[in-house]
Amino acid sequence: MNDTITAGNAFLAVMRRDLHVYLSYRTRLVSQMLTALFSLTLFYYVSRLVHVNGFGSSDAYFGFVVVGISLISVLYSCFSIPELVRQELIAGTFDRLLLSPFGAVRSVFAMTLFPLVYSLVLATLTLGLGCLVFGLHLYWPTVPLALPVMVLVLLAFVPFGVLFSALTVVIKQGNVGTSWVVALLSIVGGLYFPVSLLPGWLQTIAKIQPFTAATDLLRHLLVNSSLGESPETSLLKLAGFAAVLLPVSIFILARSIRFGQRRGTIIEY
Amino acid sequence: MTARSLQASEATPLRADELELLGGGRVAADAVPLRLRGVSKRWRSDLPLVLDELDLALEPGTSTWVGGRNGIGKTTMLRVAAGLIEPDSGRAEVWGVAPTENRTRYQQLVSFLPAGDRGLYARLTVRRQLEFWARIAMVPRDRFRACIEEAIDTFDLRELAERRVDRMSMGQRQRLRIAMTFLPRPEVVLLDEPLTSLDTEGGVLLQSAVAELLGRDGTVLWCSPSGEHLDMTFDTHLMLERGKLVSA
Repeated sequence: MNDTITAGNAFLAVMRRDLHVYLSYRTRLVSQMLTALFSLTLFYYVSRLVHVNGFGSSDAYFGFVVVGISLISVLYSCFSIPELVRQELIAGTFDRLLLSPFGAVRSVFAMTLFPLVYSLVLATLTLGLGCLVFGLHLYWPTVPLALPVMVLVLLAFVPFGVLFSALTVVIKQGNVGTSWVVALLSIVGGLYFPVSLLPGWLQTIAKIQPFTAATDLLRHLLVNSSLGESPETSLLKLAGFAAVLLPVSIFILARSIRFGQRRGTIIEY
Repeated sequence: MTARSLQASEATPLRADELELLGGGRVAADAVPLRLRGVSKRWRSDLPLVLDELDLALEPGTSTWVGGRNGIGKTTMLRVAAGLIEPDSGRAEVWGVAPTENRTRYQQLVSFLPAGDRGLYARLTVRRQLEFWARIAMVPRDRFRACIEEAIDTFDLRELAERRVDRMSMGQRQRLRIAMTFLPRPEVVLLDEPLTSLDTEGGVLLQSAVAELLGRDGTVLWCSPSGEHLDMTFDTHLMLERGKLVSA
């Protein structure tokens, strides 16, 4: 029991460390809020300019895209983990994590906490800006349900970040492939436009990966948009990805660290 | 029965059922705080062995100095002993347990100070750095605060406690790195060129920490190219030559 509490405290300590490092850069939140505001402004006027089939009004498309913009911060935070691992490798702090009783695998998982919580805060602030500045209408009866669904979304997406972190441990590069994966997911996940506009083969990719299910479900809960599939199917898809990929990603990360230890490359950066 | 009391009772032969469980594994009768058994390591197949079936056994309450020219393999030996890298053959053991058998326990018993000035979070203050390290070193809750304050006092970091690492001198950073190494009260401390950037006062603080560790039957393995290490006296002086340890 004591060991569990001590390990829990170590988890939280990693998150607290990241919070302190974040707070030491005083302008970061303002800068990110400005970025969100500019994106919202851009899409607000695009929604006024372009009439999109399938959306009853400009406000309906704006609501659709605001949820997409909010979600992309969550997606970016998952794919930022490999770069964080690379920074630890460069600073020599990864060695310390590895040589601590807490260990490198648990540390990498703990490193996901702050970016994910922060991305949730950022997504909430983006939605808030959408409401306050641009008159976005949220569908309040189901808004509270978005939080547990978001937790499930995170559990389904964290393994992707962990898998890329495993790659980082081996090849020592943090952002190989992550930027194009995020770009691809933003297209096939229907972040800015409905996936029904995509060609058939891209729609197939849209259906099999979890991001489309996540955006559809959250849009339904936040702005009452229609669902492409039943909520149960979307939830099962997300839960399935989380259940399968979480243990797989832990296993692969542990193997990649062990590989580095055997080769001696774990100390390289 | 703790690992240390096990060692103390070695004068009388131990029955199998008296052997202490060390984090789930039985401690062999010949177990010592740190042992390298036939450790070999080669970086590339076309390069000679850095460590060549190297053997080393460190007894409780002893200090050992290992010297040798640059690039001879001292750091590699320490990294293997710390559990950071794995040897091609042979094994590192702490009280008979290899890092691959029980990593958590191994890392609780061994603490490693790598050479250089890396391993710190530049944007964290000294206190936060120590708190973070104590947490991931899984220092028990009841000892947590005391360990932090003790590390601050032992290494004279009180005035620097609220200062960010990127605003400290190299010597001050080294003092912090050493404080982190001793903070969890490990049984085995591995020091790789610990005097780098340290002033005389810092060296004396390190010497006191080593003396305290030896006083509680801990073990120190100190590597540096030359034998210049203040007034430190070591129980054993060794040199690393062609992958093997020889008497200095």
